[in-house]
Amino acid sequence: MPSAEDIRERIEHSIPGALADVEDYTGGGDHFRATVTAAAFEGRSRIEQHRLVYEVFGEEIGGAIHAISLKTQTPQKASIQ
Amino acid sequence: MSPTEPSPVADAIQSDSNPVRDAIAQAIAEHKVILFMKGTPEAPACGFSARTVAVLQALDAPFAAVDILPDPRIRQELSAISDWPTIPQLFVGGELLGGCDIVIEMYESGELAQALL
Repeated sequence: MPSAEDIRERIEHSIPGALADVEDYTGGGDHFRATVTAAAFEGRSRIEQHRLVYEVFGEEIGGAIHAISLKTQTPQKASIQ
Repeated sequence: MSPTEPSPVADAIQSDSNPVRDAIAQAIAEHKVILFMKGTPEAPACGFSARTVAVLQALDAPFAAVDILPDPRIRQELSAISDWPTIPQLFVGGELLGGCDIVIEMYESGELAQALL
């Protein structure tokens, strides 16, 4: 089972410049909540932003990783909040 | 053939000449708002599906719902069409609006009500 730390590292390695904050919210290694901030999201719709993160895990989503609840944002939006 | 009109998705499952994928695409085209979910709006089988149904109901938005659980091909073909790996999936006007996270975010910002007009 991946840990929240594993998930964070994989997102940050796969999406250039991404910063991820990941929580394993059941403690079971299969339900995660992630907030991802990345310049790569600039100019993309929410759907496209989420797809970029889902693509990091491919077939594992819905398999070993039952769910990743996602919030994505650009660095610009993150700095406003 | 049954004299009553079955749902397009259920019909395709029983017929090789009418593939599941075509039936899903047709259902998406024919319903302005359609939710693919685990379980039914009355008895959701997953928390993410339940939350998505709850916001649609909070907005009094009429929507069609398809339970993806009875046949694994529905989910497989749906994800192939939408390029989206998780359930639920909400389509509005033939386009994928999002999964649970995006739909909730849009509900909270007021964008969902706009999108459903």
